[in-house]
Amino acid sequence: MSSVTDTLPTRPTRSKMSDEGFISSLVAAVAISLFLIASLLVPNFFQWQNVVNLVTNNWAVIALGVGVSFLLVSGNFDLSVGGIVALSGVLSVWFAQSTEGANALSTGLGLPYGLAIACALLGALTIGALNALFVVRFGIPSIIVTLGTMMVARGIAQVITHGSQRNTNLPEAFGYLGNLSLFGTSIKFPVVLMGVLLVVAIFVERKMVFGRITYWIGANPEAATLSGIDRARHITKLYLFSAGIAGVVGILLASEYKSGFSNRGLLMEFDALVIALLGGVAIAGGFGSVIGMFFGAIILAVVTSAATGLVLSPDWQFILKAVAVFLAIVTQTWALARRNK
Amino acid sequence: MTEEQKISVLSVDGLTKDYPGVRAVDNVTFSIQNSVVHCLVGENGAGKSTLVKMLTGALAPTTGAMTVNGKTYAPTSPQEARVSGIATLFQELHVVNELTVLENLTLGMEKSRFGFFVKSDLEDRVTQTLATIEPAIDPAARVSTLSVAQKQIVEIARAASSGANIIIMDEPTAALSEREVERLFTVIRRLRENNVTVIYISHKLDEIFELGDTVTVMRDGKHITTCPLSDVDGRAELIEMMIGRTVFQSYSPRGKIGDKVVLKAEGLNTKLLKDVSFDIKEGEIIGFYGLVGAGKTEVARALFGADTFDGKVTFHGKPGGRTPKEAIAKGIALVPEERRTQGLFTSLTIRENVPVMNLPRVTQNGVFKAEDVRTAAEAFVTQLGIATSSIEKHTEKLSGGNQQKVVLAKCLFSQADLLLLDEPTRGVDVGAKTEIYEIIKDLANEGNAVAVFSSELEEVLGICDRVFLMFDGCLQEEIENGPNVDIAHILNVVTGGQDEDAR
Repeated sequence: MSSVTDTLPTRPTRSKMSDEGFISSLVAAVAISLFLIASLLVPNFFQWQNVVNLVTNNWAVIALGVGVSFLLVSGNFDLSVGGIVALSGVLSVWFAQSTEGANALSTGLGLPYGLAIACALLGALTIGALNALFVVRFGIPSIIVTLGTMMVARGIAQVITHGSQRNTNLPEAFGYLGNLSLFGTSIKFPVVLMGVLLVVAIFVERKMVFGRITYWIGANPEAATLSGIDRARHITKLYLFSAGIAGVVGILLASEYKSGFSNRGLLMEFDALVIALLGGVAIAGGFGSVIGMFFGAIILAVVTSAATGLVLSPDWQFILKAVAVFLAIVTQTWALARRNK
Repeated sequence: MTEEQKISVLSVDGLTKDYPGVRAVDNVTFSIQNSVVHCLVGENGAGKSTLVKMLTGALAPTTGAMTVNGKTYAPTSPQEARVSGIATLFQELHVVNELTVLENLTLGMEKSRFGFFVKSDLEDRVTQTLATIEPAIDPAARVSTLSVAQKQIVEIARAASSGANIIIMDEPTAALSEREVERLFTVIRRLRENNVTVIYISHKLDEIFELGDTVTVMRDGKHITTCPLSDVDGRAELIEMMIGRTVFQSYSPRGKIGDKVVLKAEGLNTKLLKDVSFDIKEGEIIGFYGLVGAGKTEVARALFGADTFDGKVTFHGKPGGRTPKEAIAKGIALVPEERRTQGLFTSLTIRENVPVMNLPRVTQNGVFKAEDVRTAAEAFVTQLGIATSSIEKHTEKLSGGNQQKVVLAKCLFSQADLLLLDEPTRGVDVGAKTEIYEIIKDLANEGNAVAVFSSELEEVLGICDRVFLMFDGCLQEEIENGPNVDIAHILNVVTGGQDEDAR
């Protein structure tokens, strides 16, 4: 798990890169090559602005990928994040909508905006707590639990929006955060927040006890317990962390569109899972990195946007994604096996 | 056997198995006659299981030949062994809980055509076999509703109805109650009446005398004797044949052992343990010796808080930990029985393995002090003599002995003052073994208390100051180690004998 930076060759024996460093570099190399290939095929693809867009258009999935990656490394799934995005967004709208609307969909609880988003976040964390409760206390496989809470979260969102959206009667401040541009550029506040999250996550993963415990649990749960690690507590924290991120993403997306939509974030849980796997996170746990996940997201973004640029019908996008995923994962498995032969 | 009155169903000739550095089975020759219960005895490490693995096709012998039912026999898999007539009843059962008894019995033997089952006389045949050996089991019952003992009988019936005429049973009574053992013995006797030869492996010598017709004794990989049990003069002679004079006693009393009691256990009870009480003193190495399943691991896990138990553990005058986390915080560390599945993070490096049991020592505000971690790992590599090119090596690539040293390093890093070592040298080569013993002695000399849980007598008598003998979940006896320990007596106690028998 050692990063490239902390295996600096102070001795010749340490000059070999860790497996994680190797995979992350490999994924980065694939992402860059794909970008260059796309640049040859698609007119006007090779532009700085396009590079920026690849990141900024995918801030939500990348942010979700952080929580999902940590959980995967610990040996657990989180498929509930897409549902939580919908739920927290819808909740923030509903809480903030004023009390005297013309009909049910335009009437909310009239809370001040700050309180509204705090409560929405609390709703998101509740789903995370439910995940932890079932996985940790009742020992139910996480893939089943989070599949259930995914539907619970989206289901609640659907009930609150009557299967549609809520977008009227919102206070002025509601659209502020999601559309705030920083540094006098087009880069928006959510993107910056994602950047900060990435940096913090990488630091936690590489340098902090919290990160290392995640790897220990994923690498060998029984040995972790016998080494004095409180597994239940740590996995609970990870689910709350992941749900918290999803909650914030949901709130920011609702703010950006000034609406609460029950279908927002649909399939995002799978995109987050896919970019983590593309980035080399092991589905069995104990291996992977946030940097890899980030470049995994870039691979997916390049493929999708190049397809659009090639005027491929959007119908083909799923197939294209699938091909990219298979190729990337086969390459990784092959490269890692070859390296460790 | 010089003269063969009956037909020999199985004979081995000059069978030898070499592992790197060890000869596990050394030129073993004997034969077994038809329709007998043949017992195989020997201490742990005598080569019984290696011999059985060769008989069942799980291992190929280095040299030597085997003959089964008159034919040359060189199986490469358990399936081949089965076809030749040898079936094995392992300690862990291979029955399918969700199916009925009958379905289990016919499993894998069904006749089919184009993927559809074809009716045959198979069902009648297996039902009959089952009725012969144990009429009380209903063939239509779901296996999940049966007891462990009944499941075992189902498996025996499956072996018998598949045409095996030799059934190997490895410690079949380990999980059975006394009454169930009686039932099993009845089944085994019926098998014998039906021309089946049973090779019976057990540490419980009483069972051997009750059930066996002939016996083969092994010691240090060598064949000691094969003879009718009626020729053996009781437990004492059998034990003497098992141990010979080979127990090498290297114990030399170490300096002074403190008088201060570090840990006191009173009335530990679990599913297996029965009222276990003892104490451990400062600077002392104590041993828990017993056969597999005697309850050693359970004692270790209870002291470490890894399993729930009734009873009281006092450590340094305060209650012991109820979870591993608490135990470690109080100063108790455990080297678990299975290093790969319980002790080590095999996919991680040495550096990443070492600090886990004492994180505050190398962190500040939750952030690792990278240099400290490295220094600590390097120090252990040097101190314990871990053979590796670098601390960045993945522990799965280390040898067994070096892996065990990494687990030990983890525990030492916790700075515990009571170390629990469960089978600390299992699967470790001789050189590393000696080194680990030296480390243990050094730790005790520094005033730490060490408890060694082992099924190797030589190990326990080599390093421990006091030894607790365990049998069937009970602490049978406490002995002071020294030049005068009575090995025959120890073996008698841990195989379930009463005090008088061996004397």
